[in-house]
Amino acid sequence: MNQGKDRIAYNAFFYLIFAPALLVVLFLTIYPMSTIFYDSFFRYDFITGAREFIGLQNYTRIIGEELFRRSFINTLVFTISASFLEVFLGVLLAFLLYGKFKGKRIASLIIIFPMIISTMVICAVWQTFFHYEIGLFNYILTRLGLEPVGWLIDKNTALSSIILVDIWQWTPFAYLIIQAGMGSIPEELFEAARIDGARGNQIAFKITLPILSGQILLVLMLRTLDTFRLFDKVYALTGGGPANSTQTLSFFIYREGFSFFNFGRASAASVITLFFVAFLALFYVRKLLREDS
Amino acid sequence: MKRFSIIVLALAVLIPTALFAAGARDSGPVTLTIAGRDGAFGNAMDLAVEAYTRENPNVRFEILKLSGPELMEQTVIELRGGSGAFDVILIDDPFLPRLQEAGWLVDLDSMYRQKNLSIDSDLVENMVNIGRYPYPDGTLYALPHVGNVALFAYRNDIVKKYGYEKIALWDDVLAIARMVNRQEPGMVPVLFRGVQGNPIVTGFLPIFWAFGADILVDGKPAFNTPEARNAVEFFLELAKFAPRGVTAYQATQVRDALMSGVGAMAIEVWPGWIGDLENPELSDVVGKVIISAHPGQVNPSSSMIGAWMVGIPRDSKNKDAAFDFIRFLTSADVQEMMADKTGIPPTRHSVHKIPELVAKYPWYPAQLDGQISGSVRPRTDYWSQIETVFGDYLQRALVGEVTAVEALNQVQRRVEELLR
Repeated sequence: MNQGKDRIAYNAFFYLIFAPALLVVLFLTIYPMSTIFYDSFFRYDFITGAREFIGLQNYTRIIGEELFRRSFINTLVFTISASFLEVFLGVLLAFLLYGKFKGKRIASLIIIFPMIISTMVICAVWQTFFHYEIGLFNYILTRLGLEPVGWLIDKNTALSSIILVDIWQWTPFAYLIIQAGMGSIPEELFEAARIDGARGNQIAFKITLPILSGQILLVLMLRTLDTFRLFDKVYALTGGGPANSTQTLSFFIYREGFSFFNFGRASAASVITLFFVAFLALFYVRKLLREDS
Repeated sequence: MKRFSIIVLALAVLIPTALFAAGARDSGPVTLTIAGRDGAFGNAMDLAVEAYTRENPNVRFEILKLSGPELMEQTVIELRGGSGAFDVILIDDPFLPRLQEAGWLVDLDSMYRQKNLSIDSDLVENMVNIGRYPYPDGTLYALPHVGNVALFAYRNDIVKKYGYEKIALWDDVLAIARMVNRQEPGMVPVLFRGVQGNPIVTGFLPIFWAFGADILVDGKPAFNTPEARNAVEFFLELAKFAPRGVTAYQATQVRDALMSGVGAMAIEVWPGWIGDLENPELSDVVGKVIISAHPGQVNPSSSMIGAWMVGIPRDSKNKDAAFDFIRFLTSADVQEMMADKTGIPPTRHSVHKIPELVAKYPWYPAQLDGQISGSVRPRTDYWSQIETVFGDYLQRALVGEVTAVEALNQVQRRVEELLR
């Protein structure tokens, strides 16, 4: 009997402690999400406040629009290219800088520098690098006798240019996590492998990488989810152009919401994005949990 | 009697106290928050505020200097919230109808009446009418602060060299562009803003109108007309003589190319951009550039007005002080000072005629003509969407992704959907 009372008291205490955090989560996450979901079924003009229930029309119209489909494809291309290349280069850097050597601390500091600068500052700098007439890259190309490239002004290269900036900014993040993972691998493991006659590439592919797979998956997940929300670089570098070649889902939502104040359509596009991001997150989390077990 | 004496005594104490408190509130410090623009507009506002504070030391200011899109977002979010955080707001004229329709702005006609004042007839009437809803003869909700009018710029020396005394038609522009392209290596024949959305549309509209096309006819989209097709095809032909990176050209690039002597013609310049055109320290083309009204084609030239208006939010807690300030901001002395020091175009007849200013800004007569007879962009709630759709397809046509006809058909379909 006493045991039962204790258990109830324990549970009550547990819920009491848990309740404030739960309320905060409900307020900050569930409430806005449910509002967005609700609004997505309305024609909702934020300025006049006029709402009209239109069922799934926002969804069907948006999905039928070429601009939305293009934004979705651009987002996918950006996410896959940027996140995989960032992780690949991060792993490569971590391997190159593995071990103790003079100047490693300074090298690491220089490497992580792009990550700590404001994205807007980075975009301003890269915009001058990319400038068609006076940019550094085209200056080098023309000095080499090559044709200048319309980095941000050519619809075929604009998205790749933004991917390049993202890689430059966020590869250090992948490097940091992978490097931390490598630092936790006991040195004896590598020594034993060397004694057994394993070559460098065998140690890398058969020992180090399998041990690091959890970290790699984690950083891949974090970068995928982050790159999927790409907005700031597009806003600062191309404004979605030229010819919508750098339109992304976040930019589409921003335009509907804050340029046109069509909150119904913006909400519907947000819900679609949310589902896709949730699907990606779930995929990675399942993989990570499997890794753990 | 005792009771009566107590009441009289209480009233004798309370009434003066209340009156004193009310008086103190009227004359106490007031802080006006201005949601304004960055750049030259922000500098001009600083000057006006400084001058106003000298005359009214009890009024203090907080000025938010925002980019155009930021200003629009923050204005809508704040005015919708109704907290009264803003007392004075700057509004781009095409966006004004949306705020007026929502009922978010103070009726200035009533304020003028309450204070026994009248609208100064020195303010250009056409510019004042932009602040009326319904346009052009409804209630007044905003006063004209910046008298921007889109104008056409060309190098007089170059145009003369090819046998033209002045440019009357868009066909002349194309002919000169061809000659400059052939015979002036290193020179850019034509400049305009090619960024998708508002910039490219704003640059293109004078051509569109000159070719007899219009955005809306009887409230319905009119993009799939022969006039519209001719206008877009002409624009694409002209764009062959624009710089390679024109799709990324904004005001800065157009201005720099013009002032460095690289550009021969700019199909769109705004007075607010070119305040230093005749300043020998900053410009290589002093006395060489003519700023005029746009050429005509099928229709005569029609300047496009792009005024920045100033209004008072309905929920402002300092409406009287804000009203006094916006009248000061649009007064002749302040407009003269702002024009002289920052190049901000005035909205008054008298300021356009000050000889020192006309010498400094030789385009003032054309600017004033544009203000008196120019056109505004369509007064519709959907203008920003229409402009975005039109700008997207115009740029896609510019980069060769779609033809003029395909672009216009798509715009027609999308705008029909919008207005449905």
